[in-house]
Amino acid sequence: MNYWLIFWTASLVIAAVSFAVITGIVMVKGYKDLRLMFNRLAEQRTHDHE
Amino acid sequence: MHFAAIDWFIVVVYLISSVAVGLLGKKYIGKVSHYLVAGRELGTYAGIATLAATEIGTITFMYNGELGYKYGFAAFAAALISGLVMIVVGRTGLVIERFRALRLMTVPEYFERKYSRGLRLLAGILVATGGILNMGVFLKIEGEFLTIVSGIDSRYLVAVMTAILLLELVYTVVGGMMAVVITDFIQYVLLSVATILVSIYAVYHAGWGNIVAKISSTMGSSGFDPIQNPKFGITFLIWQVLLWFSIHTCWQTTAMRVFSTKSPEISKRVMTWTGFIYLGRGMLPMLWGAAALTLFGVGAIDNGVPLPVVNGQTLAPIDAMPAMLASMLGPGVKGVVVAGMLAATMSVNSSYLLGWSAVISQDIILPIREQMGKPALSSRSQIFVNRLANLFVGLFLMFWGLYYTPPGAVYLYLNITGTIYLAGTFICVIGGLYWKRANTSGGYLAMLMGAAGAIIPFFFLHWSENITGFCAFGLAALGLVLGSLMGKRAPTSLTGARLEAELKEAE
Repeated sequence: MNYWLIFWTASLVIAAVSFAVITGIVMVKGYKDLRLMFNRLAEQRTHDHE
Repeated sequence: MHFAAIDWFIVVVYLISSVAVGLLGKKYIGKVSHYLVAGRELGTYAGIATLAATEIGTITFMYNGELGYKYGFAAFAAALISGLVMIVVGRTGLVIERFRALRLMTVPEYFERKYSRGLRLLAGILVATGGILNMGVFLKIEGEFLTIVSGIDSRYLVAVMTAILLLELVYTVVGGMMAVVITDFIQYVLLSVATILVSIYAVYHAGWGNIVAKISSTMGSSGFDPIQNPKFGITFLIWQVLLWFSIHTCWQTTAMRVFSTKSPEISKRVMTWTGFIYLGRGMLPMLWGAAALTLFGVGAIDNGVPLPVVNGQTLAPIDAMPAMLASMLGPGVKGVVVAGMLAATMSVNSSYLLGWSAVISQDIILPIREQMGKPALSSRSQIFVNRLANLFVGLFLMFWGLYYTPPGAVYLYLNITGTIYLAGTFICVIGGLYWKRANTSGGYLAMLMGAAGAIIPFFFLHWSENITGFCAFGLAALGLVLGSLMGKRAPTSLTGARLEAELKEAE
């Protein structure tokens, strides 16, 4: 039981830290990603209309 | 009523801004590929946000909380498997890399490319039925969560959930994947903040040592060891590996994010990093469930665990976690958490509405029209059909979802309804992409035997979920092999040289 407890505690810490860190990165870079995506789509629409 | 004025203010501001931002997506809709797969322009980070938001809902928190309450740390095995399998799929590109290169919009579309239009239709019907039944329990469970945490009178549950569904429908119908991607980003941020906040509160209030002691005294070593736990065991773990491989590759809503990325390489990156989020997606709410057991698990023993008792009232295990949130979160924080949970609810529901309606329109209605000899629809007409299908799915959920109660643990109900189509679909996709002999006869047999292998043992023979899962995947594989070996060789094959040519062309 002790080994399992150590294993689940370590897994939980890794899971929680990864969750928090990736969320932070995605918050910053995801916004840039979306802006780029909409810029490209807007450009495509302009080309389509021309 | 547990909600203070500040909590209502936060929730209402979130709802209004979410719908308003979602409606912005409409201006980028030109073609059906914009509506369904965001013009295939999704980058890595926005891709992670939308994939994570799509698969993390209030329903996820509820069923994982229930697993944590009932099975303690042993339940963590299910979360660990889901995350690790996703990382493996991302690193290897199993199925997803080829799927993205083929520029698909739905999973059943692959069936026409590799097998036949008829098989696409059959896959479409099974995918839509299994998917909508799966989603059918979302509203009721989410409604229970909101009622318990906010203290809204349960008489208003139907009205509240109908209003939320209508809000989701508005921006999903109008803006399609564009609206879903924008709202998913905001919703992902909010739900993540709420997840982290609740995890800190849960451990602080229940105490880590107390959680370990409670699980140990209630469940003994089976609360820690998933192999020894009678509900899990080695068969459960192997079935979970199979199931999660099929979900991460062939689940329509997940696959739509893969189809929406800019390239196969980005789809692999998105999948890998979201795999790490999946570890927390499962384990953190399971921890909340274990904390709720520690704080409220003092009632009569039911299936080996004490039922939760809150303010003198005995609840079901699934309701223990929201009851804990209602009692431990203060004004303001409760508003943020409920807004986060609403964000989770809306991101999942809108993505699922779009996913299943895409299958109905692209893989059922359009092939039937073509089979009847009618001309192909224009992009604009396809978008219109998609919107109608979206409305249909929304209406169905409103009636079915609010009145149907699933039997047993919700997690296992979701697994079984998913298996109805995932077993056959996954085997057909793997066989189609990696085995030259796979042909249409094998495909039909795999889909039918996979569905029968899930429905008959579970609903009629009342076998356990584990054995049912094995049966479904085993029969599907047997069907593909037997049908392919007995039937004619496929005239064209999307494996080998032809697939390589398509992949090169896509690059």
